Amino acid sequence: MTSVIRAFLSEVLKFRRWSVLAGAGAMVAVSTFIAYLTFHQIASGATGKEMAGLIAAFHTPQGLVAIMGQARSLIIAIALVLVSANLAAEWTQGTLRNLLVREPHRLRWLAGKMLAVVLFVLLSMLLTLIVGGAFVLILAQGQGIQTAAWTSAEGLRIFLEFLGNEVLCLIGVSALGMLIAVLTRSVVAAVGIALAYILVIEGIIAVVAPQVSQWFPGRVFNTIVGATVPLVGPAPAQGYPAALLASVLWIAGFAAASALVLPRQDIKA
Amino acid sequence: MNAIETQGLSKHFGKRAAVDGLTMSTPAGSIAGFIGPNGAGKTTTLRLLLGLVRADAGSAAILGSPLTEPDGYLARVGALVEAPAFYPSLSGRTNLGVLARLGGYSRSRVGEMLEMVGLSDRARDRVGTYSLGMKQRLGVAMALLPDPDLLFLDEPANGLDPLGVIWIRDLLRHLRDQGKTILLSSHLLGELEQVADWLVILHEGKALFCGPARDLLAQRVEIAVEAEDAVRRELVVQIAEGAGYAVTRDERALRIACPASFAETLNRKASEAGVTDLAIRVKEGSLEELFLALVKGDRP
Repeated sequence: MTSVIRAFLSEVLKFRRWSVLAGAGAMVAVSTFIAYLTFHQIASGATGKEMAGLIAAFHTPQGLVAIMGQARSLIIAIALVLVSANLAAEWTQGTLRNLLVREPHRLRWLAGKMLAVVLFVLLSMLLTLIVGGAFVLILAQGQGIQTAAWTSAEGLRIFLEFLGNEVLCLIGVSALGMLIAVLTRSVVAAVGIALAYILVIEGIIAVVAPQVSQWFPGRVFNTIVGATVPLVGPAPAQGYPAALLASVLWIAGFAAASALVLPRQDIKA
Repeated sequence: MNAIETQGLSKHFGKRAAVDGLTMSTPAGSIAGFIGPNGAGKTTTLRLLLGLVRADAGSAAILGSPLTEPDGYLARVGALVEAPAFYPSLSGRTNLGVLARLGGYSRSRVGEMLEMVGLSDRARDRVGTYSLGMKQRLGVAMALLPDPDLLFLDEPANGLDPLGVIWIRDLLRHLRDQGKTILLSSHLLGELEQVADWLVILHEGKALFCGPARDLLAQRVEIAVEAEDAVRRELVVQIAEGAGYAVTRDERALRIACPASFAETLNRKASEAGVTDLAIRVKEGSLEELFLALVKGDRP
């Protein structure tokens, strides 16, 4: 356990890197911008089929989460890039050999590192929700829009439910990013494959075989968030409990596969 | 007692044998020069000994612990393998801090190491702004962080200016005097000649020589024999090869890789055969010449 804590503390020091901070900054900035655009469209009286649901929910306790949730896919993509690039960089930069000489138990090192990286991703997401939420609240109050429902007990419950599912979603995405990095051992390959998988490959499978694709990791992680507030994305077709179970199984599977591969790898970087 | 002992250690990458049945040893408290041409398997051997790659066959013991249990010895090992690898956007101090936290070493140890390698003034600067020599110094600091009993250093003088080369030479001697063992891989054979008291010469994944440096350096003599006609030269070749020494033929001269004492034997045997006007010169070769002779197979 001490080795895992050491690996965790060691990883925390590396969050000072601009590339890591830029990932968190991008998540906050772009998500807040998307929330602003969504708010602006609704507040300026936009109409249209796509906006109908959001407009209807605007003054309800779901209003704030519905606006903030519009950037959910982007948060998933940034988290995936952040995790896979961060881990794969240890191979690309050659720093992995330094680390594994100091901590020969590779799985303990990976556990400590991933704990820190996942925590960073979750804190970035939390910061994104806080900054974006506060920004939208300030905008709404500035325009005299009633926000009492958003901050009501029901509004808070919906927000926490959304947050819980978002946490599970990002843990799943991080586990996927970890496996991709361990398999590819290169930043360029890891980021390319991660983005291609989540944005293109699963999309193609969804068109060809929608019944099968609903069980794929990207789709499962995405839809469990939509289960709280359907306005922020598709709800799980298989039902929330089944999607939740599938998420947990995917996470366990990714962790097991990484744990199987890493100790057997030759570190040639 | 040996700090490193390998028996038939092998590692293949696909069909290529990077390390091929390597048997070598390094006595504790010595500076062992680890020499070999590019692709000889030096770096792969270092990686094997550090538990970074897994051996296909053979065994090894490092500081008394088997290779299969790296956690038994790595806490007492420091390493700088290939070019030093750091996080370029972090400072030198933070880079060392990352490894200090991982290894459970105190923060003060980081400061001490930076002081030792002369990087205290630049410790807060990003490593990306460091020169090659400064990165090398930081790499040495990284290797020394755990106050190791055994050090693996791969080309530590790479990128250092002449003062830096002298500094590393003095540092290595100082560490040896403290009882530490150093396996030093380097292409700077002149430097190795000055500091190494043990040599391991690697070629195509096998050890061509493993033993005290003085034993090898004692062989660094060659005899040059000049003779006008081919018949006389052929006689010399027969005498030398008959004694088991390799002969290199130049235009009018022959070079024999052998101890200096063989000059007298050669002269006597040639006289007995009726050849008395041979010009025999004893020439002292460098470690570089010895190394080349060994790798080319000129020396038995």
